Amino acid sequence: MTTPRTIRFKLNGRSVSADIMPHETIVDMLTQRFDLKGARESCGQGLCGCCTVNIDGMAVSGCLSLAWFLDGKDVQTIEGVANGATLDPVQQAFIEAGAFQCGFCTPGFIMMVRQLLDLHPDPTEDQMRHFLTGNLCRCSAYPEIIDAVKIAVAKRAELAHLVA
Amino acid sequence: MTSFDLVEPETLEDAFKWLGVDDSSVRPFGGGTALMLMMKAQLFTPVRLVSLRKLGRQFEGIERSSNDGSFRIGAMTTFSQLEHSPEIRAHLPVITQTMKTLANVRVRNVATVGGNLAHGDPHLDLPPVWMALDASATIVNSSGTRTIPVGDIFSGYYETTLEQGDLIAELRVPVRPGWRSRYIKVTTRAEHDWPALGIGLSLHAEGRVIKDLRIVLSAAIDKPTRLIGAENVLRGKEIDDALLKRAGEAAADETHIETDNRGSAPYKKHLLRVHIARAVSALVTE
Ligand SMILES: Cc1cc2nc3c(=O)[nH]c(=O)nc-3n(C[C@H](O)[C@H](O)[C@H](O)COP(=O)(O)OP(=O)(O)OC[C@H]3O[C@@H](n4cnc5c(N)ncnc54)[C@H](O)[C@@H]3O)c2cc1C
Ligand code: FES
Ligand code: FES
Repeated sequence: MTTPRTIRFKLNGRSVSADIMPHETIVDMLTQRFDLKGARESCGQGLCGCCTVNIDGMAVSGCLSLAWFLDGKDVQTIEGVANGATLDPVQQAFIEAGAFQCGFCTPGFIMMVRQLLDLHPDPTEDQMRHFLTGNLCRCSAYPEIIDAVKIAVAKRAELAHLVA
Repeated sequence: MTSFDLVEPETLEDAFKWLGVDDSSVRPFGGGTALMLMMKAQLFTPVRLVSLRKLGRQFEGIERSSNDGSFRIGAMTTFSQLEHSPEIRAHLPVITQTMKTLANVRVRNVATVGGNLAHGDPHLDLPPVWMALDASATIVNSSGTRTIPVGDIFSGYYETTLEQGDLIAELRVPVRPGWRSRYIKVTTRAEHDWPALGIGLSLHAEGRVIKDLRIVLSAAIDKPTRLIGAENVLRGKEIDDALLKRAGEAAADETHIETDNRGSAPYKKHLLRVHIARAVSALVTE
């Protein structure tokens, strides 16, 4: 009765397809079928954000989402954030601020900060903290992460200025 | 997780066909945040899940009636859609306020209004708010449609009056001129913990006189419940410290609160007295 189906979607800008079983989560699919390991499962309960991916512009927990529903969607993972060899401003900001120790949580934080800045290009510190309450850093790099958000705001503003 | 059958009907007829079996492991799938947790913990092993995401118009959207200004909210509306709706912010600001401390951005991007109600978890933040707002739910099944007050969905701890094959299609939320509302989420261990108690409060005051009000308690009891006794103490009265104290006592007396790991029963009753008095007083003088 339970049969796989072929889903087609955009993954980091490329059109891809995969044969998916109903119970596969997005993290399962990314790691096992596309060898993408940036979104990783830690709590498995929606709490920590290590598995964050972006679907049609919305951050979701890959550990709590079924891959089945990705058919026709535009999916972005941490692997698709850099532009070739040029890091995304948020990635660069995390490096400059030293916003990690072990780095396990970092892809998830970067994905969330990107959505934060898409919604609020110039967030207050309260907005930053509020937006990131669903991301946990076991190494507790929180002060540096907030610094990184501030650096990223400036970098994005600079880029926007260059483009304009 | 063990596998299951997953279907995405595009018509209600098909949905009822897929759901209409005498098997409680066949369930509708809204945002899936609650179901996925239960499935991953092996608390729930579905045979079939029926996704509601392709059911279309009746299950979607936030609309205001041009007649009476009331809202129609489709059951598949996500919390993010509620949170970012300018209409909701303008006319039901208590919903926007409640979203601030509800879960996190990723859960709000996915969780739905209907799944939240059908889950029947007494700790959830929105049910007492909908009840304080006097919202009703439209429920559809293969034999027809019924509209019930949101409070009538809940029958006990994780138990609802919904039967196999029932779907929550939409909510109706009145906008009552002169009423003000607030949700009080009382956490005792960490700010982001599940609440020890939740209070949905809605009232209509003129000066310091309370014309009418609704107080709904959640989390500390088995299902979100109106505190009729406390309401009766306050209705029609001009508030002062003595009256607020009596309302708090009435609330503590009329509820059956159990001790759990968020606090002892006496402690939670104390919190209830204090927070009801504070919240009523704050809303009246707002
Ligand atoms: C990390 C995390 C943190 C959370 N924090 C909070 C919090 O702070 N406050 C809070 O209130 N909640 C919190 N929640 C709970 C969250 O609000 C619920 O999981 C969510 O509202 C359920 O909605 P859903 O659409 O995902 O439901 P689903 O998982 O899709 O469904 C839940 C139940 O409802 C049934 N169902 C779904 N849609 C319908 C329908 N239209 N008609 C009939 N039955 C239906 C399903 O069969 C299932 O039994 C949290 C959840 C997570 C994962
Ligand atoms: S692993 Fe998905 S949120 Fe923690
Ligand atoms: S850097 Fe180690 S968990 Fe965040």
